[in-house]
Amino acid sequence: MRLVYHLIVLALAAHTAWYLFREKDFWKQAGAALVLILFLLRLVLVK
Amino acid sequence: MSIRRTSPFILSALTLVVCFFSGREFLAMRAADEIRPGPGLTAARRLSDYFPPLKGTPGDTPVYVFQGPAAGGSVLVVGGTHPNEPAGTIAAVVLAENIRTAKGKVLIIPWANASGFTHSDPQEASPQRYEISTPGGRRSFRLGARVTNPVHQWPDPTIYVNPGGQKLAGIESRNLNRAYPGKPDGSLTERVAFAIMALIKAEGVVLGIDLHESAPEYPVINAIVFHENGADLAATAQMSLQAEGYDFRLEASPPNLRGLSHREWGDAAGIMAVLLETANASHGRLKGRPSAALVVDGQDKFYEKAAKLGRLFVPFGPAGIPLDERVARHLAGVSALLEALAEIAPAKAVSVENIPAAPAVLTQGLGAFLRPPD
Repeated sequence: MRLVYHLIVLALAAHTAWYLFREKDFWKQAGAALVLILFLLRLVLVK
Repeated sequence: MSIRRTSPFILSALTLVVCFFSGREFLAMRAADEIRPGPGLTAARRLSDYFPPLKGTPGDTPVYVFQGPAAGGSVLVVGGTHPNEPAGTIAAVVLAENIRTAKGKVLIIPWANASGFTHSDPQEASPQRYEISTPGGRRSFRLGARVTNPVHQWPDPTIYVNPGGQKLAGIESRNLNRAYPGKPDGSLTERVAFAIMALIKAEGVVLGIDLHESAPEYPVINAIVFHENGADLAATAQMSLQAEGYDFRLEASPPNLRGLSHREWGDAAGIMAVLLETANASHGRLKGRPSAALVVDGQDKFYEKAAKLGRLFVPFGPAGIPLDERVARHLAGVSALLEALAEIAPAKAVSVENIPAAPAVLTQGLGAFLRPPD
């Protein structure tokens, strides 16, 4: 079950990171960065 | 290179910095709080000693044993079933740091749901910690969440059917006080509940006391909730508490409300099971800004207003209901229950010395009965 959780969060984190680098608008980049924080903390099972 | 091209790299670096510092704060909650049991301690055990599969899991937690020289019954005192109800935890810590047992045995679990202390209730802006002043400095304690950390137990089912067959909302699958009598092969929360039941049976516990808090607008408050096995005991304790000036109401444990300590400890182990509730403003829905001060001082202008409107089940004035008062009530409740046990079942009596008297806690402050930090 933990592997499933990791895969889901990893997919979402990777997608958000890709969006962060692809997006041209700074504020949209910043929004993606904020979301990425949550995914990274979940990815390493801190939060 | 334009700002548009460099900004993703800068933002990524900032993301990692924020992750580092916030992650460090979250991880700090996994370090156990300090406790310094007094000279009356005869054994320091773990819950996994009673149910070995729990060893090494986030559900394992300390159990402090105070065995007296004379034979008597065994009493279990549980704090931290709900880690966001600090008076229960602190009352258990105060007992562990002060008591000596002259007759019988007292077992204390201050952090029953150890996993619940490793995180906060989501979207509540709850403080992670609160501090209590002692003569030798300030001691810090974690304010956890009501339920087990989802990092340790995931995912929640849509509908949780607990070991007693009751259907509940999915999040209740992580609520220790809905998981009794537990399951040896169940979820982490159910295994913790099973281990506590194993302790009750192995130690021949005759009286189990579960220390809680509830919101001032909740009707079951300042109450002794009792299993029918402990009806006489609860009524006797209530009378002596009323005589001392503490308003406790009696609430019978509903037979069809499954999974709770005051129901399943009695049904599954045949013991006298009671649950004590005090009023905690930081726990309620009507509170203003959550803060460590609200946890400790218990003052909140919105609850004051609610009291004036007659919406609460306890008096609530400008002084609020501080942690000192809530813990004092629990200590008075435990003392009264032990006295009632000696009256009702003398052969199973447990005689405990040095329980801080509630009036002394109110006048000297809670910190006077906690050992100072290093």
